[in-house]
Amino acid sequence: MLHTKVIDIKEKKLSILEAENFISSSEFGASIFFSGTVRNQNDNKSVLGITYDSHDVLVIKSFEEIYNEADQKLNIKDKAVFIEHAKGYLNLGEVSIIIAVACKHRDEAYILSRYIIEEIKKRSPIWKKEHYQNNDSTWLKGNPIINEKN
Amino acid sequence: MKIQIELFGASRDFSDQNFLEFDLKNNSTIKDIRKKIVEYLDKNFRGNENFKKIVNSSVFCSENNNIISDNYKITSNEKIAIIPPIGGG
Repeated sequence: MLHTKVIDIKEKKLSILEAENFISSSEFGASIFFSGTVRNQNDNKSVLGITYDSHDVLVIKSFEEIYNEADQKLNIKDKAVFIEHAKGYLNLGEVSIIIAVACKHRDEAYILSRYIIEEIKKRSPIWKKEHYQNNDSTWLKGNPIINEKN
Repeated sequence: MKIQIELFGASRDFSDQNFLEFDLKNNSTIKDIRKKIVEYLDKNFRGNENFKKIVNSSVFCSENNNIISDNYKITSNEKIAIIPPIGGG
């Protein structure tokens, strides 16, 4: 069971409650909620906010691939997964990503939650532009996507 | 043929619009697109090395949303997206 969405922050905020409603089931004994929030410091610079950019279709595709891989690579068959990522300008402390997972047991819930966030970092086309004092801003360097076809 | 390159992430700084547009020969490939973008950066941003680095470390995405190789042949009027190095979360 999977829910994925890229949320335009101008329209709504990400909600842990919605994540909880989606993964909640008496089938599962363990739930993990991960949320990423905008931090006030990076590389010794004071950060005022972050603009997130996203290639929505590829992002959703990557979320689905990561979910499906959990079957084969991690052998976690029974699970509920909720992934939402924000796009647009976020202030300090606002939530940029929610990953909620529910599994039968805690071991697999911890493994799955960690696996999803690490894979998203590696391959979901999302970009961050940090904003500083004096209207200064910069796109963060990021990691190149490896194209296996090349 | 006319080709539109949709801009994302750091490549958005290449233009005030959300895309770049180039005239290319038929049967052009992604490799040709990279070359065109670098020429465009030489002309409009005095060869900004950071921008060129972004182009060289990017992959490209086809209109039907697949990551494509440098040998991919572009069809007429196809909309291609540039995917610079990523980092969400």
